[in-house]
Amino acid sequence: MRKADSNVRVAVTGVGIICSIGRNKDEVWRSIRESRAGIAKLTRFPGETFPTDMAAEVAGELQLPISRREAKRMSRTDLLAVIAANEAIDQANECSPLRLERAVVSTGTSTGGLLEGEDYYFRRVVRGRDRAPASRVLQQPTSGPSDAVARVFRVGGGVISNATACASAGAAIGMAVDFLRSRHADVAICGGSDALCRLTYSGFNVLQAVDPAPCAPFSAERKGITLGEGAAYLVVERWDDAVARGATILAEIAGYGASCDAHHPTAPHDEGRGAEAAMRVALDGGDVDYINAHGTGTLLNDSAETKAIVAAVGSATPVSSSKSYFGHTLGASGAVEAAITVMSLIHQLAPPTLRLDVAASDCTLDYIAHTPRPMAMNSALSNTFGFGGANVSLLFRRVV
Amino acid sequence: MSRIAISGIGIIAPDAIGLDAFRALLASGRTAGSPALVRDFKARDFINPMKMRRMNNLSRFGVAAAKLALADAGIDPGRNTGVALGTAFGPVQTSVEYMREYVEKGAALAPPQLFAESVANAPGSHIAIESDFRGFNVTITQRESSALAAAMYAAAQVVKGSVDAALIGGVEEASEMTLSVLERLGALSRTAARPFDAKRDGMSFGEGGAVLLLQPRAPKSYAFISGFGMARDTTASISDWGDDHGAIVTAMRAAIDDAEIALSDIDAIYASANGSVRGDAVEGRAIEELFGDRIPPVVATKGIFGEYAAGGALQLVAATLAVDEQSLHASAGFESGTFRFTPNREHHACKLRHVLVNSVSAGGGVVCAVLSKEAA
Repeated sequence: MRKADSNVRVAVTGVGIICSIGRNKDEVWRSIRESRAGIAKLTRFPGETFPTDMAAEVAGELQLPISRREAKRMSRTDLLAVIAANEAIDQANECSPLRLERAVVSTGTSTGGLLEGEDYYFRRVVRGRDRAPASRVLQQPTSGPSDAVARVFRVGGGVISNATACASAGAAIGMAVDFLRSRHADVAICGGSDALCRLTYSGFNVLQAVDPAPCAPFSAERKGITLGEGAAYLVVERWDDAVARGATILAEIAGYGASCDAHHPTAPHDEGRGAEAAMRVALDGGDVDYINAHGTGTLLNDSAETKAIVAAVGSATPVSSSKSYFGHTLGASGAVEAAITVMSLIHQLAPPTLRLDVAASDCTLDYIAHTPRPMAMNSALSNTFGFGGANVSLLFRRVV
Repeated sequence: MSRIAISGIGIIAPDAIGLDAFRALLASGRTAGSPALVRDFKARDFINPMKMRRMNNLSRFGVAAAKLALADAGIDPGRNTGVALGTAFGPVQTSVEYMREYVEKGAALAPPQLFAESVANAPGSHIAIESDFRGFNVTITQRESSALAAAMYAAAQVVKGSVDAALIGGVEEASEMTLSVLERLGALSRTAARPFDAKRDGMSFGEGGAVLLLQPRAPKSYAFISGFGMARDTTASISDWGDDHGAIVTAMRAAIDDAEIALSDIDAIYASANGSVRGDAVEGRAIEELFGDRIPPVVATKGIFGEYAAGGALQLVAATLAVDEQSLHASAGFESGTFRFTPNREHHACKLRHVLVNSVSAGGGVVCAVLSKEAA
């Protein structure tokens, strides 16, 4: 087997994103600059009652780059993925066309087509309609978003889906980096997608992990997450290939680390031992100027992540959680926040944690709060952790 | 060039708990049924009852298979071990059970334990917790290719040195929901899967768990993983096979190149064929094109244990055992075909230096691997 050559530099040449604060990267970045969150009362499931009612939904009808006929067989998670991938590929294609026949799609998702699976379940089992259309659950497998993106853009190099809970998209991007470095692929369309669904909305409530108010990561007042939805993709290529085809390089993926707490099925390790290990591997002895934290807003995560950051890089590095803008997009979060991290490096502006009035006593870092902080950043980490103690940390470097 | 040793195998398969039983099932060449279900598995033989209560069926398959694999290898690979499992459908049954409680008791009162197990990576995480494995922990869900794609990532991480060892494999269970959807889509055979047969009419669903230990080197090894290739058929729809066999040719060739061997070094092919009309056709044509008039023996194992079995990992295990035993398995379900090759029909001894393992997914994804007898 060819070894992934760590000397091979990996370039980001396209970014696409859709979440509650914007339908593309310009809208998203405007919201970030203006400190405008996208969290409101849940509207997706009228008639159903949950203990809390905040959500970060992608509002309105989706603007699709494909025909309605093609869209009909796709889940909402698939459609969000196609929208974000379309934006990323368009940007990467601006100079000269990507060789999509040698590209892989690598997607992280936690729920896939679960929303449509629930609809099918309600119709067939609850209301007893035997002829509920099975075609609606075709995309129930979490391979849906990858298959949809690959189909729409005629990607010929391969397809892989990562269902590693909330760490899925971080893992999907990390895998893509190694596929490029080992030359098992020449281009990767890597990211994540997840739509809100009843099961996760209910499930996090049952775990008492949801804040009844919009989430306030790292705050003394924090009570949990706000559930969100969205998708983001990065187009990544080997640096030399990107230069050769005249692409604008937006950032470099300089490293990634993946680990497991091996501690608990849902809770993070108290000291964040796996998170620390993932950051250390991503940094490989180097330093970092800004950390886009996993920062979910739960009591356990924010405390453990703070300890992990202190252990891995010390207390001086500025940290924030962009989940305070668009909630926890679950399996997509690693990609959505990777896209935010890339934009932070491009604009030399670190997004804040909104609603962070007073940091909790167990949150002891330099948290950027309320408004974005202009700062010189050569590198930034994006952390993504999930159920099962899976951790991924991605290191991005600015292009100068 | 690096080859990675497969040094331990654990199996929870239809009609076969443990490696010896699985060897016997393969040697028998008979089908384990349609659907091929795991019937005589007692999780309490492997898992502490207190812990077992927190695990769904998939997690029990995974944890039990991992324990068997580690016991089989007879070593503790240490903390810096990664885990990469594949599962095509994952915890559909757990999601259904959760939704049943949600409907009956309300969204606020469904059991948290079911929610915790409703993520596809629960089996992998239980395996890590049981053995304190702190390396990467990922779960791949790429339909029929899930386990092979997970193996590709894990083997690359062992080669790279980011872990000292890795557990790979997969888990799958037959749920009423999954079977009913597949049945209504016409994906399942009315009788039994007949891979590559002219009268094939669909796949059989198989369940189970399989875990393999990968190490850079080991005192005992069944076979060595020496290469991977992947591609995608751009003519495939999002949920069916396409008809451009070129992608499979590309992936097979890429795996052979990655292994740094020649086409003529491949002594057998463990095919993806599962009895589906389109999937078998496109793979059969690809084998014919790549190997021309020198097609090595082709073995189609999914007539025995079905498609999806252990997330696709049982096929990888079958190929691994072929290399270990230097014998080819019989292809269950085949009577007569229209391809230029006939799937191997009798279990017999055969010199196997390198075996190609194919997985061709609905949706167009293809992952191929090369297994080798020798470490270099």
